[in-house]
Amino acid sequence: MAKTIAQINEKIKAGKAVVVTAEVFTNMAQEKSLVELAQEVDVVTTATFGPMCSSGAIINFGHWSPGIRMEEISLNGVSAYEGLAAVDTYIGATSESKFDPTYGGANVIEDLIRGKDVRLHARGKGTDCYPTKEIDTWINKETVNEFYLFNPRNAYQNYAAATNSTNRIKYTYMGSLLPRYSNVTYSTSGELSPLLNDPFLRTIGLGTRIFLGGTEGYVVWNGTQFNTRRERNEFGIPKLPGATLAVIGDAKQMSADYIRSAYYEKYGVSLFVGIGIPIPVLDERMAKHLSISNDQIETTILDYGQENHPAVGMATYAQLASGSVTLPDGKQVKTAPLSSLAKAREIAELLGQWIREKRFFLTEPVQMFPKDSFVKPLVPREGGEQ
Amino acid sequence: MKRRYALRFSPTLVEQPIVSKLARTYDVDINILNADVASGRGGKLIVELSGTEENLDASVLYLSEVGVIVSEMVKELLFREEGCIHCGACTAVCSPRALRMNNEAKLVFDVSLCVVCGLCTQACPLRLFEVSNERET
Ligand code: SF4
Ligand code: SF4
Repeated sequence: MAKTIAQINEKIKAGKAVVVTAEVFTNMAQEKSLVELAQEVDVVTTATFGPMCSSGAIINFGHWSPGIRMEEISLNGVSAYEGLAAVDTYIGATSESKFDPTYGGANVIEDLIRGKDVRLHARGKGTDCYPTKEIDTWINKETVNEFYLFNPRNAYQNYAAATNSTNRIKYTYMGSLLPRYSNVTYSTSGELSPLLNDPFLRTIGLGTRIFLGGTEGYVVWNGTQFNTRRERNEFGIPKLPGATLAVIGDAKQMSADYIRSAYYEKYGVSLFVGIGIPIPVLDERMAKHLSISNDQIETTILDYGQENHPAVGMATYAQLASGSVTLPDGKQVKTAPLSSLAKAREIAELLGQWIREKRFFLTEPVQMFPKDSFVKPLVPREGGEQ
Repeated sequence: MKRRYALRFSPTLVEQPIVSKLARTYDVDINILNADVASGRGGKLIVELSGTEENLDASVLYLSEVGVIVSEMVKELLFREEGCIHCGACTAVCSPRALRMNNEAKLVFDVSLCVVCGLCTQACPLRLFEVSNERET
């Protein structure tokens, strides 16, 4: 019999909800039928902890006296967006310091979360209502008004694996790729990954409450580059990056255990973001999706040595996680993860604990995300409207 | 192969043509990187010897026999392990498998396999590795 989210929340309230992680659920599916699973289990927790470049934070600094309309803003030497009223800003994770390319917006966000002081330098032209032209001061998460993460594209549903055919080492956001196909890197938590467990986003939509960075957060839109048109395998899993999520959450409540800055050699700064999503086991169909295992999740291996990254083969996450894969030409190549499965497991466990302790309830999405969406390239063209 | 050594000479040894004998007898190339030798007192040379492994070992034996105190110069890999988030990026570049993921998806570092190639210092997004300055063993 099908369940509703309201019924599951009742069970959580009564302390009767059965909550397991996606890995445990997948194991259970080896012995139990989908009917049994759909009856017995109420919530499956999924998680990921990987580098997510399209992340950042909104900050409101509070007003200076006499006022300043900030038109140029830097935090520890990292440029933040200056086009948001007088004292609001958005600091993007990948914005780099003018002085140290290994320090960027991600580090500023981590420093603020850790409670550290961060230097704020701002300039304005000076207006009748905002006469101050320049300030140089210190802020931290206690002194600012709002400080919340707003990440436009997180939690990719599948991600291509990477290798390198050229004769030199390539430093990419997919890590250090050794020459002549000597390694393959991959970056999702496989059968534990949120959007691989609900491949058609039947339960995840606008307003879904999630674990974000150590606290409660929300899905607030589909992520940018949201793509539903990817070819899917027989289990409904897209073979290349598919859906994405835009998420929001109060950074003041977050922990550096689940938000961590990163620097990829000769590429730049990024941010590890910890996301956990609870998926309600509404019926057998959801049970089927949730029972997905690493040998059923395939991804494409792309050659980051060539322009446009041509595909060189396919691999399942079971193969990728085994330590080596065989490329179509027969070469056995060592594999390495880039997102932390150990941390993802920790998050899935923690989220389960919150639900069992009745501190976290499931939400019914306010609106579902587009069923047909694809990603356009930026095409060069000359001139504007005639 | 190449290896670097610190050689310490007593005052009497300084007068002897040890280094040229080494080159002739053992077919090793000697590159003196730093010399602090004066007649009348002892001295210290930092040298890089290149040759086959066998000849390098034989050279070291010869030097010790004539009374030179030999110590190899090494670099080591420093790892701030407590900051590790177990992402695995460093394992992508470690050919000797000193860095690998165990079956709980946690990083393990086996220092005995590390050849101090330094590749992981660039591969770790949290910058947890560093190659130390060269020092005597
Ligand atoms: S220095 Fe080289 S061999 Fe040693 S752990 Fe790092 S990558 Fe491996
Ligand atoms: S790359 Fe750095 S953080 Fe990641 S597993 Fe290796 S040492 Fe740990």
